[in-house]
Amino acid sequence: MSARRVLAIAWPVLPLVILVALPFNGLNGYLLALLYYTFTYAAMSVGWNIIGGYTGYISLANLGFFGLGSYVAGLMLTHLGWPILLTSPLVGIICALVAAAIGWVALRTRGPSFVIVTLAFTFIVQFLALNLKGITGGSAGLYLPLLTMDPLLLGDLFYYYMLGVLVLAIAVAIGIRRSRFGLGLIAIREDEGKAEGSGVNTSLFKIVAFMISAWFAAVAGAIHAQYLNYVDPDLAFELIIMLYMIVMTLLGSRGTVWGPVLGAFLLFPLQESLVYWVPPAIAGEVHLALLGVVLVLVARFMPNGLLVTVQNLIGRPPPPRWEPVPVVAGEPTPARAGRDE
Amino acid sequence: MSSNQLLEGLIPIAEGASRSLHVRDVDKSFGGVRALQSCTFDVSARKITALIGPNGSGKTTAFNCISGFYVPDRGAVMLGDRKISGWSPSRIVHQRVARTFQITRVFKRMSVLENMVVPVRRTGLKAMFWDGIQGHERARAERLLEFVGLSHFIDSEAGHLSFGQQKLLELAAALMAEPEIMLLDEPSGGLNPIMIDRLAGYIRELNQLGVTFLIVEHNMGFVMRLADDVVVLHQGSVISHGRPAEVRADPAVLEAYLGN
Repeated sequence: MSARRVLAIAWPVLPLVILVALPFNGLNGYLLALLYYTFTYAAMSVGWNIIGGYTGYISLANLGFFGLGSYVAGLMLTHLGWPILLTSPLVGIICALVAAAIGWVALRTRGPSFVIVTLAFTFIVQFLALNLKGITGGSAGLYLPLLTMDPLLLGDLFYYYMLGVLVLAIAVAIGIRRSRFGLGLIAIREDEGKAEGSGVNTSLFKIVAFMISAWFAAVAGAIHAQYLNYVDPDLAFELIIMLYMIVMTLLGSRGTVWGPVLGAFLLFPLQESLVYWVPPAIAGEVHLALLGVVLVLVARFMPNGLLVTVQNLIGRPPPPRWEPVPVVAGEPTPARAGRDE
Repeated sequence: MSSNQLLEGLIPIAEGASRSLHVRDVDKSFGGVRALQSCTFDVSARKITALIGPNGSGKTTAFNCISGFYVPDRGAVMLGDRKISGWSPSRIVHQRVARTFQITRVFKRMSVLENMVVPVRRTGLKAMFWDGIQGHERARAERLLEFVGLSHFIDSEAGHLSFGQQKLLELAAALMAEPEIMLLDEPSGGLNPIMIDRLAGYIRELNQLGVTFLIVEHNMGFVMRLADDVVVLHQGSVISHGRPAEVRADPAVLEAYLGN
């Protein structure tokens, strides 16, 4: 294996080691929280990218799964006493099963119709959270018991947990991209009818992609509920969360493994740093405007996202100009023309 | 390497194992338009059958009913003695019935190799979620690409190929599914005469290996040169069926094409 190939495979180890080591070097609470949020958004964006990037279905249901994950985990904790840090994978599975049922209907639509159906799902779940007061606490929300451990270690705990979820998300995204399943998803994105006519079971592939995507949103929602020790319908279903997932993925490069990670690591710290640059009174509005500006700039100047644009600029040779395949006139077997024999 | 050597073992069709395709009394309507009316014909195993007819006669609708893209309103499509109408297109492909499209459709932003591997007939969780492109699949793709003269382009983006090369890629990719029956929708459309000759050569060689073909085509020279049987559709119904020479002399066919 060449050194270049080893580097291409092993380079993520270095940033991972740095991120693992950071809390041991006196990372303050604010930076710990900043990175926790960045990991959360990165993991959710990588998950969203599986349905939105690989498969080409722009889902707004991931916000619904984030909120649903928060509530399911919160209810399991308050009613059954099951700790969220242990149950979050199970919460993810429950939400993935809900995604299978929703996807079975929603994934029969495409384009704007799919977007609307998935948004409707999110609103329905939010509506239920708001109105099933006996279960969810309605607009007052659910107060979750605090974790009984040293508060100084709590930040580290959530930091490492979400870092682990992010690493898992990236590993799953890489695995999918390299698998036949991933090839099928990309074929669906390119031409769904052709993919089906090539033997790809498009209905099954899309539902599985939707479920995996939902799993990561739900796990992030569950952990976030414990992080805040509180869930309410406004926080759990805040549209800005969905907007972040999409803009981060588009900024980084949709349909690539590392694009959503790059987008999250650029955009979240950037918008957080706005509080230092602009008056606090308008920071909220400015950060919303920033998302809009980023979206417009990406659509106008980098429709393929940052990663692919940079790769095209520095890494890849221009598309080859094909020579016509040579054909020898009067050749007895036309099938042999053009072969490199 | 000769063509026969290239294709050896790639299209495993045992002698006598081929199945015929039967279209039985198929109706298909779109709103008030009856695209197919009691459409009945057979595609004999190991033969090249051409489906011809004037524009709007229902050829592509029949094709879509056979390949699962449309569900017939009435009637049935049988593969051997098995009813396949109503099945999904992907399930039909896994029965070794592959198709190409009237307007060439390749996955343009995927590499030629990836285009080739998408239709591979493999199932099972491990194969689906764990394995990438296997060595033997790449080898098979390389041989099929060499067969159609595209082996130089295996790692190139499919969208960079010329139109004719994309047609050949579509044919080669369909062969990855080890088809017993191939449905080609206007394969010569948009190709220059040299490419058409090459395509006819490929079809003939594959047919000699036992692949059954059903070809929708407007190019009469291409059809008459290749086909063993010709089915003529007019206004959704079969008006003639037979050897090319017989069909050519059929007054009903002349009337359908030229009018009274």
